[in-house]
Amino acid sequence: MIITNNELVYSKYKDDYDILFLDGTYRDVLVKTRDKVHEGYELLTHPLSSSIKPNETPYKSVIISDIKGNLNYNSVIIIENSIMTFDKFNLNKIKNINEKMKEDFKLIDLTVLKSALNI
Amino acid sequence: MLKVVHYINQFFANIGGEEMAHVPAEVREGIVGPGLAFQQAFGEEAEIVATIVCGDSYFNENMDEAKKIIIEMVKKYNPDIFIAGPAFNAGRYGVACGTIAQAVKDELNIPVLTGMYIENPGADMFKNSLYIVSTKNSAAGMRDAVKKMAPLALKLAKGEKIGSSAEEGYMPNGTRVNFFEKERGSKRAVKMLLNKLKDKEFVTEFPMPDFDRVAPNPAVKDVTKAKIALVTSGGIVPKGNPDHIESSSASKYGKYDIEGVMDLTEETYQTAHGGYDPVYANEDPDRVLPVDVLREFEKEGKIGSLHRYFYTTVGNGTAVKNAKAFAEKFAKELVADGVDAVILTST
Amino acid sequence: MKLELGYVFIKDIQFAEVSKVENGTLYVNRDEVKALILEDQNFKSADVELARPGESIRIMPVKDVIEPRVKVEGPGGIFPGTINKVETVGSGKTNVLKGAAVVTTGKIVGFQEGIIDMTGPGAEYTPFSKLNNLVLVCEPVDGLKQHEHEKALRFAGYKVAVYLGELARALTPDEVHTYETPTLVEGIKLYPELPRVAYVCMLQSQGLMHDTYVYGVDAKQIVPTLIYPTEVMDGAIASGNCVSACDKNTTYHHLNNPVIYDLFDEHGKTLNFVGVIITNENVYLADKERSSNWSSKLAEYLGVDGVVVSEEGFGNPDTDLIMNCKKIEAKGIKTVLITDEYAGRDGTSQSLADADVKADAVVTGGNANMVIDLPAMDKVIGYPEVADIIAGGFDGSLHADGSITAELQVITGATNEMGFNKLSAR
Repeated sequence: MIITNNELVYSKYKDDYDILFLDGTYRDVLVKTRDKVHEGYELLTHPLSSSIKPNETPYKSVIISDIKGNLNYNSVIIIENSIMTFDKFNLNKIKNINEKMKEDFKLIDLTVLKSALNI
Repeated sequence: MLKVVHYINQFFANIGGEEMAHVPAEVREGIVGPGLAFQQAFGEEAEIVATIVCGDSYFNENMDEAKKIIIEMVKKYNPDIFIAGPAFNAGRYGVACGTIAQAVKDELNIPVLTGMYIENPGADMFKNSLYIVSTKNSAAGMRDAVKKMAPLALKLAKGEKIGSSAEEGYMPNGTRVNFFEKERGSKRAVKMLLNKLKDKEFVTEFPMPDFDRVAPNPAVKDVTKAKIALVTSGGIVPKGNPDHIESSSASKYGKYDIEGVMDLTEETYQTAHGGYDPVYANEDPDRVLPVDVLREFEKEGKIGSLHRYFYTTVGNGTAVKNAKAFAEKFAKELVADGVDAVILTST
Repeated sequence: MKLELGYVFIKDIQFAEVSKVENGTLYVNRDEVKALILEDQNFKSADVELARPGESIRIMPVKDVIEPRVKVEGPGGIFPGTINKVETVGSGKTNVLKGAAVVTTGKIVGFQEGIIDMTGPGAEYTPFSKLNNLVLVCEPVDGLKQHEHEKALRFAGYKVAVYLGELARALTPDEVHTYETPTLVEGIKLYPELPRVAYVCMLQSQGLMHDTYVYGVDAKQIVPTLIYPTEVMDGAIASGNCVSACDKNTTYHHLNNPVIYDLFDEHGKTLNFVGVIITNENVYLADKERSSNWSSKLAEYLGVDGVVVSEEGFGNPDTDLIMNCKKIEAKGIKTVLITDEYAGRDGTSQSLADADVKADAVVTGGNANMVIDLPAMDKVIGYPEVADIIAGGFDGSLHADGSITAELQVITGATNEMGFNKLSAR
């Protein structure tokens, strides 16, 4: 399952993968991922993918397992640490980014996700 | 010339050792004891105008009053910087230095500096809110301590920008500060590896956050058959504190026999702990060491038995190293005595 | 494998009719370089500028920095698998224009990263302010897709670096340094008493603007493997990574990998530098597990006593770093890690995104969140208006007078995690 707030990812993969699309922020994606991890889903990609900082890009996609299992401690630690890392950066708000930049950020998020989907 | 007020304890003022630790705070004009070394390091730039001498026991046992009195003393001199110690590895002195320095900083807004050994409990307590210079663990390290403390004190007094902990000699305080080393990172890494390979000492540039996780043991299978022991860091001791366990920075633990004791009372037990209001613990020590409840459980068959010995120390400013050492020792006795589980109470 | 690296010292760079190196000055025919770039029809125009140490020049946004080198003797050519054929490099003789560099700039995506100031406080934080730089400013054709733009710009940089490197082919170097790595068996015979050390080099491998190439192969696709240190000196590893400016390894960093050079300094004396293990930093967690399992397995297989591990990038690579550390230490092999920190502007936040008690020997390249004021420069090469949207920049980063207030993150190479710089933190 892909959790994302990136419309480009949604439109590209909605027929191939289970997508949980959030109309929200990067942090909303992390929090939703955490909630899913608490329910027993396993984290498959690292939420802090790419070196673009959380206060630069508004988009984030994360892959979790399709099925629930027992709580995966590794996943818990990684997602919690990721949220803590995100909050470190939230003091500097994302500046006004224009449409072209939004497209660029969506694209980077997509290609990084793609690398994990091995397509 | 910058004005300095110096704080030292009864030992460094040459009044006496532990037996004189009860002397109250007094102020003397000019230099006393180690102040001389500081004065020499300051040269013409600063002058120690007064030295406050205070017994470690007096300070730790009358903290509020001592702070008030000493603040007044410091206020009178209006110094540019207040220096406490260095305390090396003396626990109560270190705690006193940290406490009074913090108070002077908070209430008088004067820059402060102290120094002590990294394992001094005062270090852990105050290093994130005060500049504490890292010293050796005994007074033999006085020259080295002054060498680091004096320049930093002058900088603080002048309001200059303070660099990283590595450059200035203070204990890392949780704030990362950038600075340029003499050698590039890769060279530092290779040198660090060579030391690590030879089992020589090396200092990491980034200490990992302290985890200290202890994996829990599996649950006791049948608690109704288990022998339970009581261990506390709440300082419960037989009345009169026969082994003189210190009220803070405890250097020992006690092992006491409660065979036949069904209940701890005001007449027979007390707390030695100096870190909480002792009134309620003294009225009924079971509140901290629940012997009475466990005796009831024993009678009702809810537990197998209450172990005849309890172990106690005071967990107030106790060095982690000491706490670990105590436990390592008596844990062996608990195991040898067939204890299945321990109830550990603190405060 | 043995390589003789010949340094031709460059002290100045000038435009001239004929490209050549004479008396320590690199002369460049501007039109030839432009023509070389425009061979790639993805570019509609190209310009070439100079930036020398001490000049009041700001270059932004910087994509890559490449050092001109040429293979004088021995198999293969510089940048095998990308510019030259895939033949194995790292032996024979290679000449280097030491003190010169090619810098590529370009607005590939919205956020703009990488500033090099040739003078002022910013110059202290980047090694590239000390080089004589040939700066390429290339405009893509309209509508060019980002990944094609990135590839075109990347290759333009390598091509120009190779073109300049050629100028050193026939020259006698000012200094020659010889680097030799024996085979494993030879090494054991030569240095039976010395501790065996390997270098684990982590490569960024996450997608567009985040890739590294090994003999032309995308590092995302590799499983950790061995490489001779001298192969790296010939450009076996090339950067396609543009983020983040402070802790990405430029191609220049790969060619001059300081861990490799500093380990060689001790080789045969205090340690036996057995070789280099390269590994990647994929996003997929199972890949991270596989790669760290593999690199620790290789370290054990090589029979090393200790490793230096260097990281690249921010955030999830910290997880790879810690995995590598834990698994290698678990094999009884001692580790020293090199990383950088994001401890927040006030320096009090948790520096790394992951941690472990086993990581007890760490070298840091500094806190990348530190705020720095960069004064206005007389000339800006590139696209100055993007200061507000660079990493570590923020609304109001770019002031009316041209000065910039931003985090150290924006400066190319500032907190490099190979330990290239002297910057540290405590």
